[in-house]
Amino acid sequence: MLTATRVRAPSSLQWISLFTAAFLVLPTAYIVYVAMTAAPAVWARLWSTRIPELLGNTLSLALGVALITLVLGVSLAWITVRYDFPGRRIWEWALALPLAMPTYVLAYVYAHLLGMGGPTEQWWQLLFGHEARLPSPQSFPGVTMIMALDTFPFVYLLVRSALQNLNVSFEEVARACGVSPWATLRRVTLPLIRPAIAAGLALVILYVISDFGAVSLLRYQTLTYAVYQQMTSRYDHTAASILSLLLVVMAIIFLVTERWFRQRSRFYQTSGRYRRSTRQHAGPLGTALITSYVVLVFGAAFGIPAAMLIQWSVEAISQGALDTRFLGFIWNSGFLAALAACGAVIIGLPLAYLASRRPSRLNIACLQAAYAGYALPGPVAALAVLVLFTHFAPALYGTVVVLIIAYILHFLPVGLQSMEPALQQVTPNVEEVARTLGCTTHQSLWRVTLPLVRNGFVAAWVLMFLQTMKELPATLLLRPVGFDTLAIRVWLEASEEYYQLAAPAALLIVILSLPALMLLVSKDWRGEAQKGVT
Amino acid sequence: MASFPRTVFALTLLISALILQEWPAKTADAADKLVVYSGRAERLIKPVLDEFQTKSGIQIELLSSGTTELVNRLQAEGDHTPADVFLTNDAGSLEHARELKLLRPMNMREVERAIPSQFRASDNSWIGLSGRFWVVVYNTTLVKPEQIKSLLDLAQPQWKDKIAIPNSGSEYLQAGVSVIKTTFGDERTKQFLQGLKTNAGSQVYQKSSQIVEAVAKGQVAAGIVNHYYIYRHLAAQPTAPIAAIMTDQQEGGMGAIMNVTGIGVTRASKHVDSAKLLIEFLVAQAGQKLFADLDKEYPLHPDVKADPALVDRHSFRAALVPLARLAELRESTLTLIEQVGLR
Repeated sequence: MLTATRVRAPSSLQWISLFTAAFLVLPTAYIVYVAMTAAPAVWARLWSTRIPELLGNTLSLALGVALITLVLGVSLAWITVRYDFPGRRIWEWALALPLAMPTYVLAYVYAHLLGMGGPTEQWWQLLFGHEARLPSPQSFPGVTMIMALDTFPFVYLLVRSALQNLNVSFEEVARACGVSPWATLRRVTLPLIRPAIAAGLALVILYVISDFGAVSLLRYQTLTYAVYQQMTSRYDHTAASILSLLLVVMAIIFLVTERWFRQRSRFYQTSGRYRRSTRQHAGPLGTALITSYVVLVFGAAFGIPAAMLIQWSVEAISQGALDTRFLGFIWNSGFLAALAACGAVIIGLPLAYLASRRPSRLNIACLQAAYAGYALPGPVAALAVLVLFTHFAPALYGTVVVLIIAYILHFLPVGLQSMEPALQQVTPNVEEVARTLGCTTHQSLWRVTLPLVRNGFVAAWVLMFLQTMKELPATLLLRPVGFDTLAIRVWLEASEEYYQLAAPAALLIVILSLPALMLLVSKDWRGEAQKGVT
Repeated sequence: MASFPRTVFALTLLISALILQEWPAKTADAADKLVVYSGRAERLIKPVLDEFQTKSGIQIELLSSGTTELVNRLQAEGDHTPADVFLTNDAGSLEHARELKLLRPMNMREVERAIPSQFRASDNSWIGLSGRFWVVVYNTTLVKPEQIKSLLDLAQPQWKDKIAIPNSGSEYLQAGVSVIKTTFGDERTKQFLQGLKTNAGSQVYQKSSQIVEAVAKGQVAAGIVNHYYIYRHLAAQPTAPIAAIMTDQQEGGMGAIMNVTGIGVTRASKHVDSAKLLIEFLVAQAGQKLFADLDKEYPLHPDVKADPALVDRHSFRAALVPLARLAELRESTLTLIEQVGLR
């Protein structure tokens, strides 16, 4: 703590960090400025025509998805923590897999599977008669279901971790005092895992309102989709800015909620007589029920879509889809994602370092500014960067630079979440020892701190690399000539219903996302769970 | 342990190397390369450009995106734009680009010989290549052709939940509404749009191909699309129960709504000679035939025949609103569309 109290002149690092923070806030601030200074007539027109419908659609979708993910996530977490059944260890892991599937991939697979004249309809009509119609994937229930299948692992993982950390003595005390099992669940267990549920749901909602891929392919009008449509069909971006402002406000509300619950969910009294709950052995009937439930959810969310992608990919590849052009798309994706991830690590380093080593108000504010990108859905990040550059540096518009900046703005928060704790785990003492041995600040940073935080930073890099690789709306809007990525190809082919042609790129994205998912599951959630046990 | 700083250093080197490697590719003044910004669906234009590339040896770099988005982009990039050629499927947007001085006036004998003057800008800064009509596609098992005489019929209550329409961002819908507005006036156009909105419900699509697909499956009875999507679908699936109606052909009626795919050379282009070669290729009989065969559009060259599957071009009338006027009409059309609240 000695270093924190010592008075220092602002170092070059401080200036860099200030400059970066300003740079990161500028685009968002500019959007807000454009929206706030828009003619009242534009606001009035949007309020009387589009906004009520868009708000209604967005909120009802978020609510619907939240409800379904609540049921799926909590029940699956409960089953995998409290019961023992054959294959439990595999299922535990497999149920996180849907996170590796971008929403636009799941959406397009289901658009085919459940669509008119699709394979499911034939079975449906065999069962319910020739005229029977499936619920359309493009309807509200369809979109809700698809988004829920993609996002329930957020709730599942957080609740599972909370259940594992939960001290079973509380429940036992309640039971010993004569409380019925149901009442114990309601009055003891649920309140204890409530913060985890809330944090999971807030993540789900944030994800849903900022999603572009699924809603655009399923033609469901949300605010995020409307921002994209406004940007691509109007000569001026005022209306898009106004819708963006609403969206950002909405995202901030859920973001703040999520942070609040997440902080609360960390404080568990697990010292003293902590005991893990014992697993109940599921009998034959229980095993059958549990297995069929888990198989059903996993199959719908990952198994069937993945099988479909593999089948389509094989067909497409046998027709020669893997040509040099396709290799070019892989190269583009890798190139852009690597550039963005490197850039974000380099930009994030001074921010995270200063905030953890010299937590002055200014330094913490700089770090918070970098988190602003969290509240920017892809099209809004693109709009912010685009509007800013067209006004102040039009020469850079249409170059890789603009796209990379949008990526960094959008994904830096993801990286900071791994970088910040990594830095916090290194005690300042180590650096001070280096200083007393004659190293300068820069030397100690370079030779002591950086090697120690390497793993956290590698994790941050990988996460940002993969997020960027999957990114769709900003890439669509800002890519330079000749920079089609895998994600772009999936979306372009799928939106014209060339499902086979979209499959190889989609499958590759899913496969490449798996390492990041493993990182996420083992670090963020499992890590915390294990900390709780020891 | 000291390897991490070295990793950072190596990464920075790698990035710089990557950037340097991409940079010259972008700025190089290669005479045999053309950058094309295209607002057309990629699979409709790429085969044509590929053909040009093989014939001429000039390499084409294609950026496919939305039409309005590309106009915005050209304007923002100004003199620095990498684009040599802007190609898209709405005369209104091309004319708008001309008004913004993004396109270069051209003086080409081949063009004047091949393409009638009503399909070009007055100064040839954009040149029409092929014609398309905004028509009704209907499912032959669900609709009888005599039920729909005019586009405006689709706004009647009997079509509730039975039609599919493009979203209001599509430039050809905006162009179509501009023509209707000029012919029938604001009030009737507004009623028409309100009817369309009610009847289509959630059946609002991003792409014409999706509308044709929905009609073929019987998901909806009819839809409004560019004609060639119908014939492309039929070419792939000859038994699909769909057909086209050329609307508004009655005595004194509006006529079918026409638009063109057109091309213009950017003012900032440094490869004007190569761009001229491309235009020559596209307006010549062989190039025009590609549009006819591959895309099922109506060639604008008077001597090149359309695909025989299409409705004979001489059997119907086109609406009289000049293509170049679509640009000036657009703003008031957008206001109308937004007042109605079309998606």
